[in-house]
Order: sequence, then C-alpha cells, then structure tokens
Amino acid sequence: MNWWARRRLRTRILLPFAVLLIGVLLATLWVGSAAVTAWVEGSLRRQFDVTANVFRALLSERAARLRGETSLLAADFALKRALATYDPDTLASVAQNQRERLGVELLWITDERGVLLAAAGGVATIGGDVTSVRPLEHVMRAGTADVVVTEVAGRLMQVVATPVFAPDPIGYLLAGKPIGDDTARALGDATGTRISFLTQGQVFASSLTVDERAAALPLSAGRLGQHLEQGAAAGKTTFLVHAGGIRMLSVLIPIEAEIAQPLFALVQASFDDALGPLGKLPQWVSAIGLVALLLALLVGGVIASGIAAPLAALAQAMGAVLGGDLSRRVTLARGDEVGFLARAFNAMVSGLAEREHIKDIFGRFVSRDVATALLSGDLALAGERRPVTILFQDVRGFTTIAERTAPEVLLRVVNRLFAEMVAAVEAEGGVIRQFVGDGVMALFGAPVLHDDDPERAVRAALGMVARLPSLNEGLQRDGMPLLRIGIGIHTGDVIAGRVGPDQRSEYGVVGDAVNLASRIEGLTRDLEATILVSAATASHLGPGFLFGRRVVLPIRGKAEPVEVVEVLAG
Amino acid sequence: MMVSRPRAAVNGMRASTLGFATVLLALLLGGDGMAAEITGKVVDPSGEPLAGAVVFVDTLPAGMTAPAPAERTAAMDQVQKQFVPHVLPVVAGTEVSFPNHDQIHHHVYSFSRTKTFELPLHKGENAQPVTFDQLGAAKIGCNIHDWMDAVIVVVPTPYYALTDDAGLFVLRDMPPGTYGVVGWHERQRTSQRQSVEVVDNTTPITLTIDVNPPRARVPARGGARSYE
Repeated sequence: MNWWARRRLRTRILLPFAVLLIGVLLATLWVGSAAVTAWVEGSLRRQFDVTANVFRALLSERAARLRGETSLLAADFALKRALATYDPDTLASVAQNQRERLGVELLWITDERGVLLAAAGGVATIGGDVTSVRPLEHVMRAGTADVVVTEVAGRLMQVVATPVFAPDPIGYLLAGKPIGDDTARALGDATGTRISFLTQGQVFASSLTVDERAAALPLSAGRLGQHLEQGAAAGKTTFLVHAGGIRMLSVLIPIEAEIAQPLFALVQASFDDALGPLGKLPQWVSAIGLVALLLALLVGGVIASGIAAPLAALAQAMGAVLGGDLSRRVTLARGDEVGFLARAFNAMVSGLAEREHIKDIFGRFVSRDVATALLSGDLALAGERRPVTILFQDVRGFTTIAERTAPEVLLRVVNRLFAEMVAAVEAEGGVIRQFVGDGVMALFGAPVLHDDDPERAVRAALGMVARLPSLNEGLQRDGMPLLRIGIGIHTGDVIAGRVGPDQRSEYGVVGDAVNLASRIEGLTRDLEATILVSAATASHLGPGFLFGRRVVLPIRGKAEPVEVVEVLAG
Repeated sequence: MMVSRPRAAVNGMRASTLGFATVLLALLLGGDGMAAEITGKVVDPSGEPLAGAVVFVDTLPAGMTAPAPAERTAAMDQVQKQFVPHVLPVVAGTEVSFPNHDQIHHHVYSFSRTKTFELPLHKGENAQPVTFDQLGAAKIGCNIHDWMDAVIVVVPTPYYALTDDAGLFVLRDMPPGTYGVVGWHERQRTSQRQSVEVVDNTTPITLTIDVNPPRARVPARGGARSYE
C-alpha cells in the first residue's frame, strides 16, 4: 500500500480539494496579475508616448523661438552697427544686454571668421576661435541659422547660431537655452512623469532631486545600463528600474544632439503608483483565497466527516460482527448512499444472524438446497400443522457390533455410514432431523414442502440400501464389521416448528406420526424386512415401486393395528 | 542670377567711359608709342567662365606712375529694390553717389573694413556721395531690404575691367611694359595674380579664381521674390 492509500478518508477527500483550490487561486492570481500588469504597462506606455510627443514639441517649439528671436536680433541694424565696431567692450555690453532681452543663458558674438568677440554666459576666451562650437561650424558653411542640442561647459543646451548679414555675414550670434532641471521638472509636471536627460556617462538634468539621482539612475548597472548600452535600439521598449523599493517603468527616448555619447530623455513613471488600488489585487485575492480555502476545508471537513464518521461506525460495527457479535446494528437516519450502505449492512448482519440461527436450529445436516429454501423463504418457525413424511433408519444388530468393536473403530464405522445416509437423504431433498445412536431421522415435507415427499422418502430409503454394498466392501477391506440397516417410513400430519427452550431451540416435528414412523422402523427387525412403509405412505406412491409383503400388525401404544408395506425396489 | 540683366547695361557704359579716357590720355601723352590691350578670360577651377569678376592692374611697369583716372565719380543706383550695378569697380579716391530711383526709401550702409558708412533713409538723389579711398571691397547693403546687396571694389589703377557673361575682359590703352594683373570675385576663396608683359599684340591671358558656390541669402531673397 502506498502512502496515499494509507491516508484517512477525510484526508483523501480534503487534500485534493485543497490542492485544486490552491491551484485555482494561484492561477487566478497569476492571470489577474498578468492582466493588470499588461494593462498598466499599456497605459503607461501611452502616457510615455504622450510625454515623448510633448517633449519633442517642446524642444522644437523652443528651438523655433530661439531661432526666431535670435534671427530678429541678428537683423537689428543697431546690432549690426555695434558689431561693425569690433570693439570688445561695447560688444560685451551688447551681449549682456541681448542676453537679458532674449532671456537666454548664453549669448556670444563672433566675427565673420568665428573668432569670439564677446560672451555673456558660458565659459569662453575672447579672441579665441569658437568655430568648433556646434552649430557654428555648420552655420558658417551653410549660411543659415541652425539649432542643435549640445553640451556647453558641462551643461546641456539648445544652442542656435545665426549669421549677422550686412549684407554678407559680418559675424555670428550664438544663443543658448539650457535643458536643465527646470525643463525636466516642467515637462515632468505637465505629463505626470519623471524625466531625466542623460547619456551613458552623465546625468545632465533631471526632475529628480540631486540626492535621488544616484540611487534612481544607475547609469552603468541594471536594466537602465543595458538599455543605455544598446543605444539606438533603446526607446522602443519599456523596462523596469528598481529604485528605493519602487518599481519605475522606464523608456529611453533618443534625442538628437551634438555630443559625444548618445543622449536620451529617460521618461519614468512609478509602476506601483500606476497600479493604484489594483496593486493590492494580489493581497486581496490571496486574502479571499485564504478565507475561501479555510471555509472549503471547514465545509469539506464537515462533509468528509459526514461520510467518514458513518463509515467509521460501519467499520467498527463490521469489526464487532467479525468478532461474532451479530446483534450489532448501525443506526443512520440518512437517505443517501451511506444510509443505503448502513441499511444494507444491517440487512446483511440480520441475514448472517438468521443463517446462524437456522444453523443452530437445523444443525449442520441440512442440504444446500434445503438451506437455500429455508433462508430464502418465509419459514414459519412458530409452528404449524402440515403433512410430513418421516424416515427412521437403524443399524441391525448394532449392540452386538458395538460390543465386539473398539470404540474408535466403531465411531469411524458409524461416521462412514452416516455420510452415506445423509447423502441419500439430501439427494432427495430431505432434512436430517437428528442422529439417533446408530441411525438417522429424516424429514420430507418440512420445513420445505414438495409435492412428492412420500416418494422422495421412499427413494431416499432405496438410496440408502443401494449405497450399503459398496460401504460394506470398504468396511470389509478395512477389517471392519459389515452393516445391515432397517428403514421405517410414515406419512402423517405433525406440528412443525421451533422446539425447545430459546437458546437451545431447534426446528423439529412433534406428533403421533413421528412415533409411528419409529415404531414401523422397529417392525423391520420383527419382519426381517429392510424397508417398511405405512399404508398412508404407500398410498402416496406412484407406479414403479416394487412392493413385498403387506401386513397389518398391532403397534405398541396404538389401539388400532397398522398396515405396513414392504418396499423391495423402486 | 538676378543681377545679370543690369550688369550688361553697366558694362556697356563702363566700356564707353574707358574709351573716352583712353582718347584723352593719348592726347595728353602726345602719341608716345602705340597703346595696347590685355585681353583674357576669368574662369573657375573647372574652367567655367566667371561673370562679374573684376580684373585690375595692381603693379605698373617700373618708373610708370598711375595715370589719373578720367572720372572721379561713380554711381550705385537703386532700381526696383536692387543695387545697380551689383559689382562696381572704382579707382581709389572715387566719389560714389547712391541715387535712389525707387519710390520708397532705402537705407544704404556698409560695415566693411574698406569703408564703413551709412546713408540713412533717403530718396531720389539727395544722399551725400561717399568717397572710397581705401583699397579693397566694400559690401553694400540696405537696412530696409536685406536681399539688396552690392560690392564696390576699390582698385589702385585706372586699368580695370569687369568680365562679361562669357568671363571675357579687355584692359585697354595700356602702354607697353610688364603689369601685375589681379582677378577678384565676390565669392572668391583664392584669387590669381599674374604678370603680363604688354607688347603690340598680347596673347590673351586666363585668370583662374577659386570661388565658393553661390549661396542663398536667408530670409530676404525669398521675401523679395514674393513681393515682386
């Protein structure tokens, strides 16, 4: 027996349900979480798209404004006139003034060769060649204004370069607006996200505080590091960055910039905030699941008990029955299968008890057919008057044989005789009523009635006689005494039923007919006949029997003489 | 280009002025030997002819002094919101007037190192002439019309010419001797200087000037077209 087979019934009912329920809960939890995550990711991704669009629009609008304002300034005749002085002090004032006027952080003025004449903001050397400052180089070549995102003195800026035409270029204006923390914060506030401008090597600006950045923006580690390394491939996929126990869904939006490493706007939103109340879903499902599991176990336990307890009671009762207590019954007021089982058990034990009872009453010498008939039929054990044919068999000269034979040998002889006699009786459907010393008493017609009970009795008697030669052959071979028998049969009404005190009661027949049958058997010695039947019995016999002498004899205890007939063959 | 039409007219005018000066010079010098010409062509490095190039003599034969120019005035006209001519070579010391033949004001200026000047809003022929006495090119603009531009090229000698559409030029009435001839173009990256010995019939010379490609002026050119 394996482990499972050894478990108690309750366990075997509850465990699969518990496992199934937990499985369903986990599946629900998983599917629910996956759906919620996908939904939140989708909505955040849309939010990121909006942010990206707003950001691009913002940059482009800023660029356009910067370009427009600077172009207007470059077209200002006073500026041209001032530029044409090529006087550094004057131009420094001009640069300062125009920086204030345009509201830019950086305003530089160069001559037509890209030599710096004046600088307001930024770090630069007057008189130095700033052609390398993007986008000046391109503007000098193309002759048209241009705006790029670039790095100036470690800061990220949108820088415009515009030629000053008089009417050929007499110089260039460079104006720069920073993309700084303010920009990131404004954009973040407008779109409900966190924005950082960064390359693989540097965070230029962020809506995060300086303290937060180190932890939240690991440039060279984790998913962010991987995505930064992938560079151009980034921006397509969102990824999670874990920062201080918060999961930030992130996306990198590439920004076209004139700097050494690819520049990105890192747009982030708290995944957990976006989940909102849905974030508690796993806990809720778990809690509900746990309660459901406990309830299921409780209810299952009750149901399992409802099945297991009566089964246990049945098992216990069965144990008692096995122990021989056939009085045990199981009381279950239930209409279900268990109730049926209990009723069937009770019926079975009743049947067993009855069988035992019948065995008690009839002893062991009831043929199978008779026993079946007795058990299946409504046997009236209470007592009834009915016609019965009674057969008595006796061993002739048994007293003499007994005196000459050792007791143990005698018993073997008798037992071999009884085996044949019983077989002959049962062959005809008779019932052995009792063994009387060296003979048997058999009944035909009680407790089971047949139409031809007298004939059956006579055939049984003929059967006994027929079995004798082979029995004697065997006895002779074994050096035992040979036997002769006498049989008396009579048919008459008797009272059949339970005879004797309760514990010792047996099925039996009472009546004058029994005595008469015994007397007729006794006559066989006197008449030297083997089989004698009364006239009453003979009158029931059909053709086919060979009769011998027919005599009327007085019987002891009988006022009238009795007519008996010798049966020779059948 | 838009300037080609007026320039053709100017070339004609310039040629007649030069011819007149040559006659005067011949009379003054009393027919001292036959005067000759330097002819030639100005091309870019790919051999394409360059129109509007100024070819002038910057070095005279030894012992020769620069003759006084016949005309000491010139004009930079303003017609239909364009300067006419687009390129105006003058001898140093020439007074250039800026007559305005449009019905609107112009505000002519130059911030070139060669000559910085400004003729605030003016109409008709009221503006004061401007004397160009320093050698070099002065870019001329109009503060009201950004697309208007011209260049006045101040040369040291009266021996100068402007190439035509085929890039051809003629320097006339030159006494024999060895001259230094320079080509100049407003889009030049490098210019070529060449020594030319003038005898009776000088072989035509070719001057090559490396030029930048013409570039669109923003935003005024487009604006000008849309006005017209």
